[in-house]
Amino acid sequence: MKYGFVIDNRKCIGCHACTVACKSEHDVAIGVNRTWVKQVEKGTYPNTRRVFSVMRCNHCTDAPCVEICPTEALHIREDGIVDFDNERCIGCKSCMQACPYDALYIDPDTNTAAKCNYCAHRIDVGLEPACVNVCPEHAIISGDMENPDSEISQLLSREQVTVRKAEKDTKPNVYYINGDADSLNPGNTEKSDRYFWNSQSRGVGHFAKYAEKRVEGIDLKSMAMKMSNKEEVKERTPKSIDVLMQKNKRVYDSPDKGILWGWEVSAYVLTKAIAAGAFLFLLMGWALGIGASEEMSYAIGLISIFFLTATGVLLIMDLDQPKRFLYVLLRPQWKSWLVRGGYFITFFGLFITTYLVGRYFDSTMLMDISMWLGALLALCTAVYTAFLFAQAKGRDFWQSPVLAIHMLLHSVMAGGAVIMILTVFLNGMHYWEVLAEFMLLVTISLNLVAMGFELFMPHPTADAATVAKSIVKGMYKNAFWWGVVVIGNLLPLAALVTGQAQFYPMAGVLCLVGLWFTEKVWVEAPQRVALA
Amino acid sequence: MSVIEKIAEKLRIIPELGKNEDAGLDRIAAEGELTKFPKPEDWDDWTEYDPKSWPRKKHKHYSVIPTTCFNCESACGLLTYIDKETNQIRKVEGNPYHPGSRGRNCAKGPATVNQVHDPDRILYPLKRKGPRGSGEWERVSWDEALNDIAARMHTALKEERHNEIAYHVGRPGHEGYMDRVLKAWGVDGHNSHTNICSSGARFGYNLWYGYDRPSPDHANARFILLISAHLESGHYFNPHAQRIIEGMMKGAKLAVMDPRLSNTASMANYWMPTYPGSEAAVLLAMAKVILDKGLYNEKFLRTWVNWKAYLQKMHPDKEATFENFIESMCEMYAEYTPEFAAKEADIDPETIVDVATQIGEAGERFATHNWRSAGSGNLGGWAVARCLHFLNVLTGSVGTVGGTSPNSWNKFKPKFFDNPPAQKFWNELHFPKEYPLAFFEMSFLLPHFLKEGRGKMDTYFTRVFNPVWTYPDGFSWIEALEDEEKVGMHIALTPTWNETAYYADYVLPMGLAPERHDINSYATHSGMWIAFRQPVLREKARREGKDFDFTYDVNPGEVWEEDEFWIELSWRMDPDGSLGIRDHFKSPYREGEKITIDEYYQYIFENVPGLPEKAAEENMTPLDYMKRYGAFEVEKASYEKHKNKLSEEQLQDADIDKETGLITKNGESIGIERDGVAYTGFPTPSRLNEFYSQTMEDWRWPEYTTPTYIKSHIHPEKLDKSIGEYVLVPTFRLPTLIHSRSANAKWLTEISNRNPIWMHPSDAEKFDLKTDDLVKMNTDIGYFVDKVWVTEAMKPGVVACSHHIGRWRRPQDKIGNRWHTNTVEIRKEGNGWKMETTRGVEPFKSHDSDSSRIFWADGGVHQNITHAVHPDPISGMHCWHQRVRVEKAGPDDKYGDIFVDTDKSYAVYKEWMDMTRPAPGPDGLRRPLWFKRALRPDESTFYLNEED
Repeated sequence: MKYGFVIDNRKCIGCHACTVACKSEHDVAIGVNRTWVKQVEKGTYPNTRRVFSVMRCNHCTDAPCVEICPTEALHIREDGIVDFDNERCIGCKSCMQACPYDALYIDPDTNTAAKCNYCAHRIDVGLEPACVNVCPEHAIISGDMENPDSEISQLLSREQVTVRKAEKDTKPNVYYINGDADSLNPGNTEKSDRYFWNSQSRGVGHFAKYAEKRVEGIDLKSMAMKMSNKEEVKERTPKSIDVLMQKNKRVYDSPDKGILWGWEVSAYVLTKAIAAGAFLFLLMGWALGIGASEEMSYAIGLISIFFLTATGVLLIMDLDQPKRFLYVLLRPQWKSWLVRGGYFITFFGLFITTYLVGRYFDSTMLMDISMWLGALLALCTAVYTAFLFAQAKGRDFWQSPVLAIHMLLHSVMAGGAVIMILTVFLNGMHYWEVLAEFMLLVTISLNLVAMGFELFMPHPTADAATVAKSIVKGMYKNAFWWGVVVIGNLLPLAALVTGQAQFYPMAGVLCLVGLWFTEKVWVEAPQRVALA
Repeated sequence: MSVIEKIAEKLRIIPELGKNEDAGLDRIAAEGELTKFPKPEDWDDWTEYDPKSWPRKKHKHYSVIPTTCFNCESACGLLTYIDKETNQIRKVEGNPYHPGSRGRNCAKGPATVNQVHDPDRILYPLKRKGPRGSGEWERVSWDEALNDIAARMHTALKEERHNEIAYHVGRPGHEGYMDRVLKAWGVDGHNSHTNICSSGARFGYNLWYGYDRPSPDHANARFILLISAHLESGHYFNPHAQRIIEGMMKGAKLAVMDPRLSNTASMANYWMPTYPGSEAAVLLAMAKVILDKGLYNEKFLRTWVNWKAYLQKMHPDKEATFENFIESMCEMYAEYTPEFAAKEADIDPETIVDVATQIGEAGERFATHNWRSAGSGNLGGWAVARCLHFLNVLTGSVGTVGGTSPNSWNKFKPKFFDNPPAQKFWNELHFPKEYPLAFFEMSFLLPHFLKEGRGKMDTYFTRVFNPVWTYPDGFSWIEALEDEEKVGMHIALTPTWNETAYYADYVLPMGLAPERHDINSYATHSGMWIAFRQPVLREKARREGKDFDFTYDVNPGEVWEEDEFWIELSWRMDPDGSLGIRDHFKSPYREGEKITIDEYYQYIFENVPGLPEKAAEENMTPLDYMKRYGAFEVEKASYEKHKNKLSEEQLQDADIDKETGLITKNGESIGIERDGVAYTGFPTPSRLNEFYSQTMEDWRWPEYTTPTYIKSHIHPEKLDKSIGEYVLVPTFRLPTLIHSRSANAKWLTEISNRNPIWMHPSDAEKFDLKTDDLVKMNTDIGYFVDKVWVTEAMKPGVVACSHHIGRWRRPQDKIGNRWHTNTVEIRKEGNGWKMETTRGVEPFKSHDSDSSRIFWADGGVHQNITHAVHPDPISGMHCWHQRVRVEKAGPDDKYGDIFVDTDKSYAVYKEWMDMTRPAPGPDGLRRPLWFKRALRPDESTFYLNEED
């Protein structure tokens, strides 16, 4: 048995009954939708059409949201329905990054992810989903696609159908008769916060709680800028012209959900790079026979544990259900890189601790074992995020194969920067300084090459290209060229090339600042691409 | 679940999930199959899984009770799911037993639950404190309100001031209830909204065949022509939209005339973006194509059209032969070439020929509709419906399968337990002499009539009705309502706050769809049905063995319903029975006792043909059957009712005119003989479809005796493009909202909450306007400042603004539709009124957590208040389209600014009044006797006497 939907665009009249019936069945909060009707106008007068496209979860056979979910909150039932359990959900929002269809949202009442679940609670008593029942035109057809006698099977056999983003290889199970490419492909039309009869001024879903807090004495404009997934409000005018000139115009859509992974995620990528990078230097020093003084051992161990703890705190802060953070470890879904990463971080933390304990009790053996195992886990900690981001299938830019190298380089850069800063405070750091100088020269250079690959090589998808463009030429151009390239890479490189050691600590500081800009840009920019 | 999780749960580090599940429920469909609704036998205790705790199985127990929707006038069937634990309505789905809506709904059906739980709804009767309009209210008891109002009305009736009592209604949503009450009071007090709504088209239809609305059989049509947006709005949106698409899936083609790309136009095979007001010209050009190509239906024309009368009157020189009729028509319409029409409409002439040819080929399977739209927008808009029906006549698709029947054939008329005699008064505030042919009351002129001193209102009820906002010229309404000399007492009966209720003396909360009794029957398709709206919590209580005297005992707060309110009020108006009113409210089942609401409906349902038998099959009374199923199908399908034969009894003592075949009895025409058979025919003087209207001749409109094109008040000739004059189409509706009734539904409001001016890029360029720029729309009496929406979906040279949005409350109106309302400051400025939007829509705290999450701020702009009244001199319809001077907003203009000079409003009113040709007509009549009239008074009142 396999349930799916056919959306029959020959019949859909864009009345929004499905949207409202769904809200009623599931008591969905305003601002977020399990299903909605996107509307796109095409052509020029009088050869104009308005196309209605029902948007919702595709109940993918290979659902990326299920794969990335750390706690099995999202799961595929035997009948093919992708269902969810909000009691398990920790609000990490990774499913919202993984879904290429923008099907999920954060329910502001429960602070957990939610989406169309095919009205599984109705299916299990034999009732049609609420949207199917209400539709005046019977334009939404549900049923078992494996039963040749079902209406849906017959439609799928007889009619030409299309799906959204087939290239994502998720095997979606919502099929459109007379599907319209300009409506189904989000890149073909501009997303806006004002449509022909609706507009958005405040945050929804994950951001609803911020909007709620601002009920009294609100600064609407600044909030609109913060909450909404759009370029700054001041850029509206030129954008309107763009939209005006476009042949296809999005005229109705559901509200924008905003940047779901915000500064906490950018910051956590940085803190974990510092923790891992600093620790990796211990191993490098050992390999080159540079002994770590007692002070140095404590400094590295404490810096690592401090930043690793910060990493954990930031990760928890990012959760919409922070009290459930332990679920990542204790309700693990092993395919999720969030879980794997969680364990890496945990064990990394354990070995840093044992390293420090070894140091305290002067146990060389404990220190050596801890250093080796810790360094291995530091490596995993540094790199795993690339795999997590790769699991976020909705974000094309993160699918870059260079991302793992990028993460590793960042970690070593961060470690080198820490060493450079430590030279100010500790004595007998000469060899460490030389090591860090060498490593920074190499990794910064490689980092520039890697970024070049990520940004300037031809992009496999239009979305990825859009992101690269926004970084190099668009709204992130200042952060990128000044923050990342100049401050984070060229200036430190220049400082190192001078051979003047007094500049090295400053190079380290600049390098860390640059890494912050890099993580911010790399985390944020891809999230500005509309998924639906 | 992993081992780690199991251990962690056992150690209580994390909570144990998946505990305390309820048992699995039985499926009501076979494994792998799905059904739509629970079976009626399970409705008393229907158990579902709670979606909130899913995937953990928790049972939810519901009482499932039907009612009908009270948003638009379609009265689609609803099933309410009442949570047995909380005794609250949890959700609303469709009623599969409703023949019109067939279990399906538009967005407004399920949104009913928002309206019920709206934190801003009015829960108790309110009486004003302080001056009228001050926004100060105090809660009163129903007894207090009833006694106060009843005493006042008693005095008015005693003093023979019958014409000072009026009941002004929006869309009624019931069948005949109030007409009976008003007759019982003996007042000519019915005032409706119809002349701002549908009466233009009604007039056009009526002239043809004595019926005032069409009932297209879309599902069986081959060609469908809509001059309206029936796939997204209108009567009867959901039922019609179902059947239009059904017809299209079976191969029917759809053509739509609309200057704006509506959803309907977008779905059409032919979008004909006709210039507003040119529709009749295009329709006549189509008629000409059909005539020229010989695609007309000779049999129907010969038999059912008064062509002989036409030839006799218009071409007395010609022999009265059918051939001469066709020839004369061809001559008469010779000027309506496709090229001429295309020029008037600014569309492609080939499309006109193409569509007309396909219409001709569709023949009897040609379905059409034009209820409002062009008919309501234009001076002479009634001619659009007349010319549209002309196409049905030419193709013989009147009353056929796949054709277009009269509305009344598919609408059930209930039988009442008591029929009071017609009132002996004629209220000239409703039907003034200037408008002898006005199809309904001149309701939108009431403030001007009061201003002129034509009369006054002692007791004025507005019932689910909001003229201050919905009607043109709202400031004149505010002026009238604020004047206690003109309006003695204003009682607003409404479920929710509205701009008119702010100016009431009493605001009395009336029930929403699941909180009131009504019966409904509408011409949604070729069948006939009757449906029952009921207070579902009362019905649930009844099933549980609890009985209540009044619906307000079970509804939220003390929300009541009109039905019981009127019984109580009428009873108290006539405390000793001396006015004779009480006699009409006595139970048909219990001698001398006051009727109960159940008895009222019991009587009606006992007299629905077939219903008692159907109920008996299930061992139920007819009333119980309707309470259980909510609807009953009276006729599955029926056509060609004009061919119903007259009975022997009817023919007894009847005269048959040899020449015309007209059958008369006691001076009234009752049928027509065709080929030796006596049929009922159509309810016109000739019993035929009247191509030629003697009535128009008799009432001094000889230029309009046959279907004609009338140039609208916004015809391009009447606009000065050089100063930026445009036509504004202010009437288009959205599929998600309904007039001013749905602002209390958050799920509808979040989808649609602003109403920018639609403008084609070429027009926007002229004014250097871009999307979201401010534009000043100058009407004849003032202006409003709105944003622009630049779109290819708008005809160049025409601008449009949607209805529903731009609702407001004043700072003193603390609550009321806060999902939807801007806060405005209103003040007198010079000769006029200024309104400024001071705050947009804002989040607010309430029991509904959603209210603090309102994510929109733009509540749109109120446009209707800046419109002058435009009464069509014949039909009386308000001609909605506005001549506007478009200009880019200046530096001092703010979004939402509105200004109106009510002196100018009055001047425009006078200007349009001058176009009328007042009564008397023949025999000193106020109105043609054969014309229907809402709440028809005694025939004696139709004749003007000396003093009138």
